[in-house]
Amino acid sequence: MKTVIGGIGGALVLAAGMAPFAATAQDGEALLAMEWDEIVEAARGGEVNVFMWGGADNINAYVSDYIGGLLADEYGITLNRVPLTDTAEAVNIVLGEVEAGAAEGAVDMIWINGENFRTMKQGDLAWCGYVEKLPNAELVDFDNPAIANDFGTPVEGCEVPWSRVQFAFAHDTARTEEPPRTIPDLLDWARANPGRFTYPAPPDFTGAAFVRHVFIHAAGGPETLIGPFDQAKFDEVAVKAWDILNDLEPSLWREGRTYPTSITQLQQMFANREVDLFFTYDPAEVGTAVVNGIFPETAMSYGLEDGTLANTNYMVIPVNSPNKAAAMVLQNLLLSGEAQLEKAQPDVWGAATVIEPDRASDEVQAGFAALERHPSVVAIEELGQAALPELQADWTQAIEDGWIENVGN
Amino acid sequence: MNMGLLRVVAGLVLVCCLVAPLLPLGLWSVARGWFFPQVLPATWTLEPWARAFAPRSEIPGALLTTTTVALASAGLALALGIPAGRALGLYKFRGKALVELALLAPVIVPGIAVGLGIHGVFLRLGLTNSMAGVILVHLVPTLPYVVFVMSGVFANYDAEAEAQARSLGARPMQVLWHVMLPAIAPGVMVAGLFAFLVSWSQYILTLTIGGGRVVTLPLLLYAQAGAGRNDQAGVLAMLSLAPGLVILALTARQLTGRGLALGGGAR
Amino acid sequence: MAGSRTSATEVLGRGHPWLSLAPALCVIAVLFGGGLVLGLAGSFAERGGGWSLDAWAQVLSEGRVWRSLGLSLWIAGASTALSCGIGLGAALLLRRSFPGQGLARLLFQINLTIPHAVGALGILWLLSQSGFLARLVAGAGGIDTPADFPPLTQDRFAIGIIAHYVWKEVPFVGLILLANMQSLGDDPESAARTLGAGPFAAMRLVLLPLLMPALVRAGAIVFAFAFGAWEVPVLLGQSSPAALPVLAWQRFTSPDLAARPEAMALAMLIALVSALLIRAAFTARR
Repeated sequence: MKTVIGGIGGALVLAAGMAPFAATAQDGEALLAMEWDEIVEAARGGEVNVFMWGGADNINAYVSDYIGGLLADEYGITLNRVPLTDTAEAVNIVLGEVEAGAAEGAVDMIWINGENFRTMKQGDLAWCGYVEKLPNAELVDFDNPAIANDFGTPVEGCEVPWSRVQFAFAHDTARTEEPPRTIPDLLDWARANPGRFTYPAPPDFTGAAFVRHVFIHAAGGPETLIGPFDQAKFDEVAVKAWDILNDLEPSLWREGRTYPTSITQLQQMFANREVDLFFTYDPAEVGTAVVNGIFPETAMSYGLEDGTLANTNYMVIPVNSPNKAAAMVLQNLLLSGEAQLEKAQPDVWGAATVIEPDRASDEVQAGFAALERHPSVVAIEELGQAALPELQADWTQAIEDGWIENVGN
Repeated sequence: MNMGLLRVVAGLVLVCCLVAPLLPLGLWSVARGWFFPQVLPATWTLEPWARAFAPRSEIPGALLTTTTVALASAGLALALGIPAGRALGLYKFRGKALVELALLAPVIVPGIAVGLGIHGVFLRLGLTNSMAGVILVHLVPTLPYVVFVMSGVFANYDAEAEAQARSLGARPMQVLWHVMLPAIAPGVMVAGLFAFLVSWSQYILTLTIGGGRVVTLPLLLYAQAGAGRNDQAGVLAMLSLAPGLVILALTARQLTGRGLALGGGAR
Repeated sequence: MAGSRTSATEVLGRGHPWLSLAPALCVIAVLFGGGLVLGLAGSFAERGGGWSLDAWAQVLSEGRVWRSLGLSLWIAGASTALSCGIGLGAALLLRRSFPGQGLARLLFQINLTIPHAVGALGILWLLSQSGFLARLVAGAGGIDTPADFPPLTQDRFAIGIIAHYVWKEVPFVGLILLANMQSLGDDPESAARTLGAGPFAAMRLVLLPLLMPALVRAGAIVFAFAFGAWEVPVLLGQSSPAALPVLAWQRFTSPDLAARPEAMALAMLIALVSALLIRAAFTARR
């Protein structure tokens, strides 16, 4: 019987007569001993429940229609996409199930990264060790540190990469011809244009990422922040970072007395001309927003000369997934050159691939070479020239908490 | 005369205030890219509605799920709430005040306080992530209202008629069917409809217990609003209004303000 | 009271109220009681098993929690007071016929059926600095940019949140009072009038005390909801302090597992404060 982590109502768990969940959730050990063909056979005709942020129609359609269609046609597997507004909800479901000793979970796969992955890995909630079984894993360069580490947490075969994203800013060329292109310039620009800039308050994901850019700027670059959390170093940089952000407050929207509570609020404020700058962790979103009529066609995304944070997002299989074989088949499909190419098409999603195109078939290589992007979306190559590595989850957590404590109040 | 004018003006203000928040919702459902400073949308379009009912849209499925859950939950709440309401409305007994407090407590204790804990209960009962679980958990907000309404109905109910029917030789089931039911039918309808609407409006309980697997309209509404798709959110908002309007139109005669108020409205 | 009205032993279920109550009581006990007990247990739980007061100590020592509590009390208090006040006014208005009375009554009923999520989104798009109202004012030349419009949503006084609750609850309070006035009839007031009281004195001295129990009950329901709802402040609230339920939900969905007992403690705090205040309101009535 596996150890139950966490102790919410521990006594009640015991009273309820906890079933050993390894017996009923699809047996991971047995799958790991199988050949790929056998795994595919085990998966055939089953279903797979994918929990993922569901706020973008184009992403939903890609997963439900394109991937779901392939999965049904080729393997007879039904893909149920479960929309979330916050990935932590899915992690909480798994956590609750495992704590309560629920034998069979509801979740077969979660679109995940960062703190949520750390939570799952630390809590032994992620199923690990199966990645090399996937034939298409060969297309991925697992030696690339940007793929082998998820916000600094070693992946170690506990999740499979899906897409790469890089933080980018956006401006409306009709309103702001020359937007600031470094963090110091941005701070000056905000002071020169009072009330025209703000950022969502952490724990909003994108707002927290913006704060990390300022934190890295205060540290003089990312080098000293890479690696495990260092309290002394944090304290030293934090003083400077909070000073910068507190000094900035009078120049922010509503004099910094309050902040937007979500990236959506900032998006709407940008669309409504309440502020002049927008930012996002997925530049393709700016193109989608133009297509959907949320942003004017004059909206344009751009990178910073001193670099912006980049990260990889992944798919994880929870340890109590009842359909592990089908989940593996799905992950293999998601990694295929064809699926990655389709996902990179600007009218589909425009998401940057995690595979090395030169390891894929000639057609896929040609497809990647011929990709065109939406005119509002900055080229991934241009952004990639100045990419900052993401900090480890302990750092990001400390920065979030520190901001809430020292700036956001 | 002056008082009469004042009434009209006050009534007009009231009407405007009641309608105002619905205006931007309705406009967004037929607009594209409607932003400051445009008072009215520059581009009018039915595309959000077409998209909502396109073959791959999640909205028809969510409509069905929301309706099924609300119907089942309201039915269950009536089955449990009518007997309880009868006991509270007709009889005096030791501990009655305590029972009343217990049955009405879910209305007074905020939902979030219970919702986070209920998730644990349902996990242990194996009811999470299923429609059955969502239907059951919706009893927490709906049942108190049904009990509340039905105890009021039974307090004004003439139980003497039942005794007379019994003395004339009617069997208990006949009494229930021919005497009690006709007398309480309007109250049952009010209670049921409001249980339906209360369930129809749930968000947090559906999310926590349904685990995102049971997709109802409020879940889609928050997802679309959270993604900045105001046009889709507008459509969902308009669809969310539908059952209330339909119910009011269908039952304009039976439903008095009294019944509605007792029902407590959608929460 | 009703039970004493009939002496017949032939009334069904007489003498067995517990049998009729049992199913409903069981459901509430398991779902609601179980939820509360587990929530409470969760607030004392320690990771890896065992019990501790850490979560409570942490929560109660945070200035942020107290500020959030203050904000939520303000939101609930102001919403309740305004809803009851305006609801009473509206009920007094609607009990007499006037042109448009039917429409107003119908809107009252429609409003009651609207989900809070829909209303909150509508208020956001109506009152925000770039919302419908701001655009009307801009169109009339009153303001140039959204920043010129007073902040009514995500603002420090929670105006947007309170506006939503008042919008939603005035019809609720109003209809309850209307129903009560109908059952009271005109008699008490006309009796007072024949004894020489003016219309306002009759209302204040006779009608109002008669309506008070219903008003307190309605107010308690409004207060509990406005104090504990998450859907509304999450859309209309400012970043800091956030309403107490928003803070609780933030901790509940935090990737940091240690925050879960704190979320439970906050949820229990919400239940406790709400229950105590409502109890106090009822005791004060007696």
